[in-house]
Amino acid sequence: MKTVWTIVPFPCASSPTGRRALRKDLLSSLRASGSAVIVDLSDCRTLNHEDIDLLLECVAQVAGRDTQVLFVAGSRVNRVLLEVTRISSVVPVFNSVKEALAYPQVAAENDHEDRRAS
Amino acid sequence: MRSPGRCLCRSWVGDLGEEGKRVELGAVVVVPAGGDVAAIHGAEPRAVAASENSRPLYSSRVPILGNDVLRSWMDRVRKLGVQSLWLTSSLGDESVSTSVLAGFAQQGVERLLMIKLKSYAELDLADLLRFHCEKRNPVTEAQDARGQLGVSLLDHLALRAAGENHEPPGAARDSQRTAYQFNGYAKGILSARGRQELVRDALTGACAIRPLGTEIREQVWIGEGVELADSARVIGPTYIGARTIIRAGATIGPFASVEPDCVVDCGTTVERSTVLPYTYLAPGLLIRGELVDGGYLENLGWGAVADLHPAGLAGRIHRSEERRQAFSKTATDVFSRAARASARGFALPPTASQPWVQVQL
Repeated sequence: MKTVWTIVPFPCASSPTGRRALRKDLLSSLRASGSAVIVDLSDCRTLNHEDIDLLLECVAQVAGRDTQVLFVAGSRVNRVLLEVTRISSVVPVFNSVKEALAYPQVAAENDHEDRRAS
Repeated sequence: MRSPGRCLCRSWVGDLGEEGKRVELGAVVVVPAGGDVAAIHGAEPRAVAASENSRPLYSSRVPILGNDVLRSWMDRVRKLGVQSLWLTSSLGDESVSTSVLAGFAQQGVERLLMIKLKSYAELDLADLLRFHCEKRNPVTEAQDARGQLGVSLLDHLALRAAGENHEPPGAARDSQRTAYQFNGYAKGILSARGRQELVRDALTGACAIRPLGTEIREQVWIGEGVELADSARVIGPTYIGARTIIRAGATIGPFASVEPDCVVDCGTTVERSTVLPYTYLAPGLLIRGELVDGGYLENLGWGAVADLHPAGLAGRIHRSEERRQAFSKTATDVFSRAARASARGFALPPTASQPWVQVQL
């Protein structure tokens, strides 16, 4: 069976309620066994400290597990922030979802799943 | 209140003109991206706001390895024999107003040396003056392979024409302008990339500018009152400016310049980057190939400017009175001289949009 790649949009900081819902979605996606998650920051113009905390929580969530997480920066500013906070040294960061889906590890895993299915 | 034209600083410079004649010369320095007189007096580190698609400009008064580039230009002007100069600021790239230039002409200034403080250049001003006198064109502009250096010489014809035509001398016809080709060391200082290149060259001895501090080991300079944690690493070539605090586990260098009065918190790395004065960097950051100015960071490669405030990653340190005094004793002592000159009867001109300060050299 082919791995399901979940793309989770990461919108700009909204209300506390919206943030709690985002956190719940994100962490439940990451907890789902055998799943890989692409966190898409394209709709988030700039990251604040709560956003950074949540992204670090995502990193911590998948540490030591098979679940893979990729970040899509969506903008140069977000990419700079991910580099400055060293998040990009532990999680692969891409400019777009298309680029993330072409990531060798993702592609290789997809191929592997395809071969197993056939 | 008097305008520069009515309170002239002129100097006689010997044996530079044609046939060894003495040349009367006035001098003006324009600080671009300065905004106002306060920016000149305080050398407040700040970038002029950038639009979405453009990189910010940095004030040319912000120190480079603890040095004030204005002072290097003032030293060069003084070596010409000029005893004082007029200093002003402009918000953008515009130069001195045409009415002020006409004022210089009315007061009988034969030649005016105008320096737009947008580059550091190891320019021989005497040679530039000699060239200008030989060519006999109204305007001479110094340039290198990258473009104009912001240094020009205007004779009385150009000054008078500026007033009559209400056009800046830069708009003079090509036939009236001569380019002085400079092949020595020059670097633009308004952009983050130019500043970082100058830092790199100064740290490796590729230009004449030297870090302001003590060389504690090969290619590592430290200013007065620096607090360096035992576990912090400093990798040369690197400069750490006066009163800066480097906390435990931080790594500074190589090719880094942390200017005076900064705080680099625990575990943060600053590499191939410049941190402008009064900047706080939070713990655990990786600053590589960037310029940080308070809460703003410009990536030197992509040119992306990120606001680090919302993420709490960096910020501007408010100056304490003690630090303010220490700063004024070093980088801005030229302005205390200017203040003394004012007290002796020199006055700032009334033009609110373009304030003037006369500085004794």
